[in-house]
Amino acid sequence: MLAGSEGPVKALAGGTDLLVQMKLGSLQPHALVSLRDVPGLDFVRLDEDGGLVIGAVATLAALENSPDVKAAFPAIAEAASYVGSVQVRSRATVGGNLCNAAPSADMAPILIACGAAAVITDGRAERNVPLEDFFAGPGETALEPGELLKAIAVPPSPEASFGKYFKSFRSAMDCCTVGVAVCAAFAPGSMIVRDVRLALGAVAPTPIRARASEKMLIGRALDGTLIARASVAAADEAQPITDLRASAEYRKILVEVLSRRALTAAHAWAQKGAAA
Amino acid sequence: MNTCMIGRGLPRIDAVPKVTGEAQYTVDLKMPGLLIGKILRSPHPHARIKSIDIAAAAQLKGVRAVITAKDVPDNLFSFYQWLADKNILCGEKVRYVGDEVAAVAAVDEATAEQALALIDVVYEPLPAVFDIEEAMRPGAPLVHDDKESNATWSVQRLFGDPDKALAECDYVVEGTYVTHAVSHTCLEVSNCVAKWDEKDRLTVWTNAQAPHTQRQEVARILGIPRRNVRVINSYMGGGFGSKLVMDMKVPIAAVLSRITGRPVRIVNTRSEEFATGKTRYPYTMYLKTGAMKDGRIVVRDLKLIGDAGAYHDKGPATINFSSMMFGTLYDVPNIRFEGQLVYTNKEMGTAFRGFGNPQVTFATESQLDELAVKMGIDPLDLRLRNSNCSMGTTSCGAEICGCGMTDCMLAAAEGIEWERKRTRKDENALRGVGLANMVHTGGGGRFYGFNSAEAFIKLSDEGTVTLITSALDMGQGAHTAMAQIAAEELGVSLSDINVLSNDTDLTPYDLGSWGSRAIFMDGNAVLAAAQDAKSALVEAAAEMLEANAGDILIEDGKIWVRGSAEKHDLAEIVEHTVNEHGSPISGTGRFVDKLPEGYTIATAFAKNIPCFSFGTQAVEVEVDPETGQVRVLKVVAAHETGTTINQTMAEGQIEGAVAQGIGFALMERLVHEDGRVLNDRFLDYKIPNIGDMPEIEAICVESEGTRGPFGAKGIGEPGLVPTAPAIANAVFDAIGVRFHELPITRDKVLEALKEKGK
Amino acid sequence: MKRELHITVNGDAHHLLVDTSRTLLEVIREDIGLTGTKNGCGAGECGACTVLLDNEPVNSCLALAHEAGGREVMTIEGLASGGVLHPIQEAFVAQGAIQCGFCTPGMVMSTKALLDRNPDPTREEILDGLRGNLCRCTGYVKIVAAVEAAKCLLLEEEPG
Repeated sequence: MLAGSEGPVKALAGGTDLLVQMKLGSLQPHALVSLRDVPGLDFVRLDEDGGLVIGAVATLAALENSPDVKAAFPAIAEAASYVGSVQVRSRATVGGNLCNAAPSADMAPILIACGAAAVITDGRAERNVPLEDFFAGPGETALEPGELLKAIAVPPSPEASFGKYFKSFRSAMDCCTVGVAVCAAFAPGSMIVRDVRLALGAVAPTPIRARASEKMLIGRALDGTLIARASVAAADEAQPITDLRASAEYRKILVEVLSRRALTAAHAWAQKGAAA
Repeated sequence: MNTCMIGRGLPRIDAVPKVTGEAQYTVDLKMPGLLIGKILRSPHPHARIKSIDIAAAAQLKGVRAVITAKDVPDNLFSFYQWLADKNILCGEKVRYVGDEVAAVAAVDEATAEQALALIDVVYEPLPAVFDIEEAMRPGAPLVHDDKESNATWSVQRLFGDPDKALAECDYVVEGTYVTHAVSHTCLEVSNCVAKWDEKDRLTVWTNAQAPHTQRQEVARILGIPRRNVRVINSYMGGGFGSKLVMDMKVPIAAVLSRITGRPVRIVNTRSEEFATGKTRYPYTMYLKTGAMKDGRIVVRDLKLIGDAGAYHDKGPATINFSSMMFGTLYDVPNIRFEGQLVYTNKEMGTAFRGFGNPQVTFATESQLDELAVKMGIDPLDLRLRNSNCSMGTTSCGAEICGCGMTDCMLAAAEGIEWERKRTRKDENALRGVGLANMVHTGGGGRFYGFNSAEAFIKLSDEGTVTLITSALDMGQGAHTAMAQIAAEELGVSLSDINVLSNDTDLTPYDLGSWGSRAIFMDGNAVLAAAQDAKSALVEAAAEMLEANAGDILIEDGKIWVRGSAEKHDLAEIVEHTVNEHGSPISGTGRFVDKLPEGYTIATAFAKNIPCFSFGTQAVEVEVDPETGQVRVLKVVAAHETGTTINQTMAEGQIEGAVAQGIGFALMERLVHEDGRVLNDRFLDYKIPNIGDMPEIEAICVESEGTRGPFGAKGIGEPGLVPTAPAIANAVFDAIGVRFHELPITRDKVLEALKEKGK
Repeated sequence: MKRELHITVNGDAHHLLVDTSRTLLEVIREDIGLTGTKNGCGAGECGACTVLLDNEPVNSCLALAHEAGGREVMTIEGLASGGVLHPIQEAFVAQGAIQCGFCTPGMVMSTKALLDRNPDPTREEILDGLRGNLCRCTGYVKIVAAVEAAKCLLLEEEPG
């Protein structure tokens, strides 16, 4: 249905981005296909191996309130609770948030930081794409014509790992000015960073990983000096624009500040573990 | 004073229909045959209209009328008619993005929108001016070609000898302060319905803050007799000044209705509301304050430039009012005020809660703290030393009767724990407290000449009371306050009062709800009407109960003779006098507020104000030095009410005003690019939401001496006036940075901290 | 393109012929004639249009009418029962949480959704639950007081 049509067809999930854009005139699809009643797209479940699979049409409210997610992936549930308002989250979906592909997509940073993959289907076969590669540009994804995002697959949390999403100025209906998510795995009982992902939202054409910053951290003992250097590196990797909401300079400052806060929180968490 | 009703936080009389969804707002009204009107607005800030082709639009199925300038009267309009400068629809040129160019009426909204898209307008863009500097440059493009310059209207005021005082005083502080354009953001957008009847009378349903004035304005611009215009209000989703002066959608809807023979509704989209609606006037202020060693402020000199936008609207009136409040606060003996209004190619300003006073108070109360720093004295002490006299006349002629200013300052300071928090060291290095005073009118003004109000009361034969009042309730609770006043005087309960209003055919001529005037003006009229009805009631009871009028008592709907145990229902008395004597019971009340002998509107200056209201707000803030975010932790707002009519409603007015003040100081800002508003959505124009609010302590300070009903004065606007400078002063206390420009946004704070660190 | 829509609003079943592009808000206000739900912005940013859809609070301006087909909608008009105000409505009236009233229906419906899913919310949870409802008149102070009062009234009503 999506593939064969006279004009552009858009998939409709929660409508909280798509309908607004249609009303503003920035999108004028020929037809909408509602995904809400397509079976098998709105689940939220933990796998036996401890990984999380989120159906593309699962609402943010479902994600926010799921006892499984709150227990096993609290950072993801928390990030979901930061989006918009209760009314928006009742309808907005994870898939919608990601496929709308705004540079500021609120669910992207934490899912990228958790190592998530996009599960894409064309009705016959499936393929997986690491989430950080799912975004091609503002409003553009890796979906080919005729393809749909089916689910997001999050691998089980590594042992001794900490994750959290830091969003600037968490006010409802705030299109994220800057978002930073961290997922850091430590060598058990120590401050050494075994692995880390630092994802930045709203400071580049797509959500991105701050890879140079990550490289700086892996294999090192996390401390104040390292945190400061890595935060500056993250800010350097950001390529924000100046727009109505904030200037590029200010966004860079926020990247540094939020990265520092994220890494400091990881540090504090690891210290408790190291002390134990 | 022994009262049953006054002061109590009784529930509003209109709360139930609002909470059940029954209340009909203008935008909810249904009418057979209703057409939807839409306005084609200029996309250019300044352009000549070369041609308009409406043929395709007019031929679209479902379109019933398309109009341009040639289809409407050519009359010009402004709030002050002698400064009239705006047509209903632009003929020759457009002057701001949003200026009305054409309009359609169609069977539904989608068709109307399609029709707009089919109207072909050829514009010749002209160079435009977007700020006052550009606009005042010699040779700048003229917004109005018939004027010599964009600097349009101005006013000067002089009291005492400011130059001498400046030369002789011990301390002088000077500075430039800038405030910006903000939007009213009423939850109900601007909208109207217009319909003509078979007798050629026009009825306009709209949310007008001044229905009788609107009736005059509509008649004037359409060139029809006033008696042919009727304005009907419904429940109103907010006003704050935005609905005071007529909006062009009203005469546009009227013309469309005339042509089609059907009622026509026009409703702003939210985007239209933000992008083309009227704003608070941006002011640029050059201010000097001079004081003596003993702390007395002896001179203030303010040069103010107001950005009018493309048309006059309420610009001159706003600047006039600003000057009166500027002259009155602290009773400074030497005052110079120069106010200049300048045209720019942007959406026009209009009245907005505070009416120029929040802007001016930001400057004066910020500078007062700067003076305190220079003098090395506590800002609270400096203000206490300059408190307005309790009775008497200030040097600029303001007659202060009933002044709780010192009480307000002390209450606010105590509430914020001024002493402790100003002297704490390091415990919370990034927290600060600041305060600011204000004076505002508590009863409107005489400056429109006529300043009176009238009310009627009639009693039915089962004892219910109907109160006919022109007080306009836009959410502030005016109808409830009027009902309480009437109930108190008559001795009945609030639920016995039925308020009729909202229809210019029914209500007495009145200037409307603005300038916090409803309680003082309309309230006094209602009180007089209730006194009149009561004396008729007492007389009837005296006759029926064979007693002296002086021995008749009324309370809680019961009437009895002093000393007697037999109590009668009001209904009994009324029934008796109606059926036995054919004498229905009613009352008329009038309150006439005249200028003092020997003064005219032009010469009266601050004597135009019948009643002043003082207040103080103390604020605690916390600054995040990494992000620049200023968080308001607590606001203590102590404001005069004279006598509080309804405690809950008065607090509600203060709390709501403080929220708007916080928005004005920290969050809200209309962002323009080449004259076009970029942030035309709630997403990008941030007003405080429930999570943004600090703890607010609203204190109603009562005082004697006010001539309002039971001693009450207005509280609608004061809560907004001192918030911004109080916040700016608290920020200075927290981080030692003085902001002279609003809003105080995060990036500005960060930049200032960086500069300071150098 | 018009299609049949079967929708239950405040317990009443409606069978309508509705164009697929129309929003739930439009159908509630215009086709069904319940004007208590307000249009504040049309973009899901102010909450004035909040209704309950299968007990979940949604911005009805962003829900297509047909998405509510076969489901239950509750609007402000459905809250009072037999002329008796719901405790939330009582609390809003008593606490002075209503001024112009335009945001009130949406605010009340969000409050209902909040207290239904969380009968004893903390102050933070109250703020979070109502963050999507803008008010320009009250400064929210008495709205929070009303939600706290409503919470107490409802907890008192609990059987046993």
